[in-house]
Amino acid sequence: MVLVYGTLDMPDWGDPDSPANMHVSPYYITNTLEDTATPNIVTSVLADYRGYDTFGETTVIFSAGMACILLLRRQRKK
Amino acid sequence: MIDQLPVLTIIIPLVFAFITPLLGWWKERFCYPWVLLSLSLCMICSVFVLFRVISTGTIHYYLGNWTPPWGIEYVIDHLNALMLVIITVTALLVAVYSKKSLEQEIPEKIVYFYTVFLLQVVGFMGIVVTGDMFNLYVFLEITSLTGYALIAVGEDGAPLASFRYIIMGTVGACFYLLGVGYLYIATGSLNIADLSSLLPGLYSSKVILVAFAFFFVGIAIKMALFPLHVWLPDAYTKAPSAASALIAPLMTKISVYVMIRVMFTVFNPSFTIDMLPIADIMVGLGIFAIMAGAIMALAQTDFKRMLCYIVIAEIGYMVGGTGLANAIAMKGVILHILNDTIMTLGLFTVAGIIAYQLSGHRLSDFRDLFKKMPFTMAAFVVTALSIIGVPPTCGFFSKWYLIQGAVIAHCWMFVVALLFSSLINIILFFRIFEIGYGFRESGEAHGHGGEKALISEAPMTMLIPTIVTALLIILIGIYNQPIITNIIRFAVPAL
Amino acid sequence: MFDFIMGKYNYWFYIALMMIGFYAMIGKRNLIKKIIGMNIFQTAIILFYVSIAFKKGAATLPILEHAHGHDVHAIEASSYINPLPHVLMLTAIVVMVATLGVALAIAIKIYRRYGTLEEDEIIEAMK
Repeated sequence: MVLVYGTLDMPDWGDPDSPANMHVSPYYITNTLEDTATPNIVTSVLADYRGYDTFGETTVIFSAGMACILLLRRQRKK
Repeated sequence: MIDQLPVLTIIIPLVFAFITPLLGWWKERFCYPWVLLSLSLCMICSVFVLFRVISTGTIHYYLGNWTPPWGIEYVIDHLNALMLVIITVTALLVAVYSKKSLEQEIPEKIVYFYTVFLLQVVGFMGIVVTGDMFNLYVFLEITSLTGYALIAVGEDGAPLASFRYIIMGTVGACFYLLGVGYLYIATGSLNIADLSSLLPGLYSSKVILVAFAFFFVGIAIKMALFPLHVWLPDAYTKAPSAASALIAPLMTKISVYVMIRVMFTVFNPSFTIDMLPIADIMVGLGIFAIMAGAIMALAQTDFKRMLCYIVIAEIGYMVGGTGLANAIAMKGVILHILNDTIMTLGLFTVAGIIAYQLSGHRLSDFRDLFKKMPFTMAAFVVTALSIIGVPPTCGFFSKWYLIQGAVIAHCWMFVVALLFSSLINIILFFRIFEIGYGFRESGEAHGHGGEKALISEAPMTMLIPTIVTALLIILIGIYNQPIITNIIRFAVPAL
Repeated sequence: MFDFIMGKYNYWFYIALMMIGFYAMIGKRNLIKKIIGMNIFQTAIILFYVSIAFKKGAATLPILEHAHGHDVHAIEASSYINPLPHVLMLTAIVVMVATLGVALAIAIKIYRRYGTLEEDEIIEAMK
């Protein structure tokens, strides 16, 4: 119920003038070609502007892999 | 090189963590010195960062050289730098300590344990230095995932305890993510500095209120704030000694740090205190946590479980202190983050040593230990005095600041709660002292008669970190004035 | 009123989905059902973020058209949907999968030890 209350003030769906769409993202869209020479904006943001997040994500996968090995590996000689 | 220090503190353990499994395949004996090497380098870097912040002020580091808010930024101010040093020192001490206990508890998985250990340290440090909300979420998840794994390789009930932790911890992290999403909808930015300049115009919006509520609940789950603490006792009790010595001091305190960041840097202090009734709620929750933690600690027969409830009570101090909303209380809270980390580290290392020597951690195992393990018990006495709050140990000073802050804020219930918990701590620890000195017969004492000959003092690698921790407790207590004037005074948000 | 509902209904969908996942996590006794509930909960959040990104009008996917060969004409921000939430959600999906993996590994470990995946029976067996 609290959640519904919280949505009362949100911008409408698909509103092109909402702050989320106006503040940071236009820079990404307009400048991605000169900065990164990649037409795919999602890739350019993911790999270049916010590349560190992708790096962190790789670390997450690595930790999960190591965690699974840590948890599941059985002793070979019993 | 010096300019890159903030990132180096994260990259070094990460790179070392990547190489550890390969090294372990080749020769398992090399893992332990390797881990020590990486954590020592890391600690040196973090100390340099701290000195640099003290001399030149806040460091801004742009990752990939994209200016914020379009790129990710690292902001290291006094609070961050202090937390970095805390994390690296704790991690190094636990790493030194962990060798013998791991060999006894999980002998076949040491290599992977150390890898996950290093990764968790990476996660902790990443949370502390970042200036970007979503980056914080990524590192929070790294920390949580590695924590789940480290806890689950413990003794018999550990996987179920870790499972309960997974469910609650994921809910907490998802609430945090929801909070970030709501803030993003309202402002369009993810950078902490940017958000703090954009938010004041929007304070009357319901979205911001709900975002704050989500943040608070999510962080409260991670912090084990009463009543959301139910995952903590099982998880920390059943984890292996080295894992609980790493996770218990750090995880909850870093969540307190995140709470302070969100409350005071992202949302201005005036918003948090004036526009929401959150301050009173926090003090109330803090009081409940202290009382509940103290009372339930009394009821425990297992030493490690008792320590877990003490941790819950300490979190109550910090949350209540933050809710008091004046500068002295905040000084107390930040000093208490430092102190509580060291104290919890001391307690859990002692518990681990006892578990190593006696293969168990019930209170009755303490019988006659003062004669057989004098150094360990001496360290334990120092740590216990610090939790009770006896000068000149550091615990006294942080409690003193908190009490001062509570008196200034006319919050007498909080003062009562603090003193009450000190009293209960005295009872708790003196009960252990009695058993340890052999004054009291505890229930199963005669069954252990045959093992007396085998118990000796703890091995060196486990003993040295414990003693170092005890010395640190005393040192920080004596030197707390310089620490406050140089570091903490700048870290306190302007109230 | 109708405008209002049409403007906000996407948010209400995600709230409903989240509540379903939350109920499954807390209310069910089987460990695997709890894990699935957790997954639904996280997916709901991801849907929420992605739905923020949409722009009405002539907006299309965030991939620039006719961009090869450096003959760039002026790029209008409002003709492409917002890429940032998509980016964040790629990372969040990865994190979600990783958490799912670790949770399932722990469930396997529990199963090997106790032979069952019902929470009540496990707690009974532990006593």
